[in-house]
Amino acid sequence: MNIINTTGLSKNYGSIKALDNLDLSLESGDPIALIGPNGAGKTTLLSLLCGFIHPSSGSAELLGKKVGSRELIGKLAALPQDAHLDPRFSIQRQLGLFAKLQGFSGDAAKKEVSRVLETVLLADAGVKKPGELSHGMRKRVSIAQALIGSPELVLLDEPTAGIDPPNVKIIRDLIRSESSNATFLISSHNLDELEKLCSTVVYLSEGKLVEAGPIKTNTDDGYLTISLPSVPEEQFLRECAKLTGVLNVHRQAQGDYLIRQTEGHAVDQALLALLAKNGWKYRHLIKGRSLEERLYG
Amino acid sequence: MSMFSIAANEWARLFLSSRGWLAICAFALIWIVFLAYVIAPAAQYMSSDDFGLIFAALFARFGANTLANWESNEMALYWIFALYLLPFFTMISAADQIASDKTRGTMRFLVLRTSRTQVFFGRFLGQYLIQLFIVLITLCSVFALIAIKAPDGLSIAISEAPIVVINLALVLLPYVALMALVSVLASTARQATAFAIIGWIVLWFLLGYVQGKFGPIPILNWVLPGSQLSSLVRLGHWDTLSLAPIPLLHTVVLLTLGWIAIRRCDL
Repeated sequence: MNIINTTGLSKNYGSIKALDNLDLSLESGDPIALIGPNGAGKTTLLSLLCGFIHPSSGSAELLGKKVGSRELIGKLAALPQDAHLDPRFSIQRQLGLFAKLQGFSGDAAKKEVSRVLETVLLADAGVKKPGELSHGMRKRVSIAQALIGSPELVLLDEPTAGIDPPNVKIIRDLIRSESSNATFLISSHNLDELEKLCSTVVYLSEGKLVEAGPIKTNTDDGYLTISLPSVPEEQFLRECAKLTGVLNVHRQAQGDYLIRQTEGHAVDQALLALLAKNGWKYRHLIKGRSLEERLYG
Repeated sequence: MSMFSIAANEWARLFLSSRGWLAICAFALIWIVFLAYVIAPAAQYMSSDDFGLIFAALFARFGANTLANWESNEMALYWIFALYLLPFFTMISAADQIASDKTRGTMRFLVLRTSRTQVFFGRFLGQYLIQLFIVLITLCSVFALIAIKAPDGLSIAISEAPIVVINLALVLLPYVALMALVSVLASTARQATAFAIIGWIVLWFLLGYVQGKFGPIPILNWVLPGSQLSSLVRLGHWDTLSLAPIPLLHTVVLLTLGWIAIRRCDL
């Protein structure tokens, strides 16, 4: 089923083209990653899809309905970037109003609020005001509001930005478990995170669509990625470069190496033998390149 | 349905928040002082022969010469003061219909679940009902004053109350609509009040300038919200309703502008 469809979608701020003639068609299913550098147009796209801002030209449809259509209420949910709940009222009260606006009656609204707060592991936070929660907990509450009812499409703008690792893990697990019920479109700079969660990537740059397709690593692209947290760097680079079929070796982040190989050689086998010979331990070995390396390498 | 949930939530925003209670307490204190030190002694002076003549002359000077025709002095005084004071309170208390929610991003959570139109008119309706509640509360305080000072006059005051309530309800309507419009354009409640006051003064000068330059244009005298007030105090009893179309027209125009603004603005 086609969940997002944009035709010539553009948004200008004065002379700046935040989004430039975007034609995009996405199917429902596994989570979709929306990536791109700062200023690429990710938040603009999500804001346009939610109807928070109006396009300069073009049009967009979600679940076969025009953006802003009443029929999308309850089917579309979102975690908007930099949107905050009212600090004067309890979480329960505010989420309760959202549930009522989505059609839940008094008691049903209370139950629904309890359900979504339990889902984000914040069952006891309902009586608190937003200011009494940490940044990570507030973010989880904002995700909870997106889970009210049974949305078919959930747009998350930077769900893990500025959040500590335990909260990131909770959010990641949450998205993974909820993705069987709804299609998630997740905008983030954390490509490792997205690679773990998503099966499709939409890559924007300078307001234009660069790529939209499967995120799966191409295992035959002539690269190996290995993580070696505690090996002598110089020695590894030297000995690895000597292996048959290795064209070059580059150190990436701390302990990560990207190995380019020639076709037809089982370099991975030779590499494992080299590690065993020297007693070096590896954390993981991946055929192909990481998403970050493919896009920005 | 969403509109009524939003309207009901306006009451919660007033009565379930410390800021709301602070505003209620501040207004209550001001009103109690006003009632005890302005309306009560003034009503007493109006009853005495010598001071009654002075008051009649004073009100006549301001064009409110029909006040002497009101049977209850307290109601006459409440009428004139409420007519000029409550709109100012409305411009402060109804200023945050949209502004801070828009700036904070809370509005985004709402428009994912209901239309901008429902939010705009729901907030307007909720704030208008709050203003009516304030009218009724202040009126009850006047009844209490009469019951303490001159119980015999209570039945007369109650019989005159519907005229006062209906007129104040009409007078406050465009002010709530004005605040609905400016709160869409402003970033904070304070800025919305400032926009309303500055806009009102600028328009007042502009209309005066236009009439000074091109001669009297009668229709321009009715452009500003509250422009009917000086005529209203000259009328007595149900004659006051002859001016009802003016605030209603102001309200329709202001709400239409506000509705266009909220539909067009970025959230």
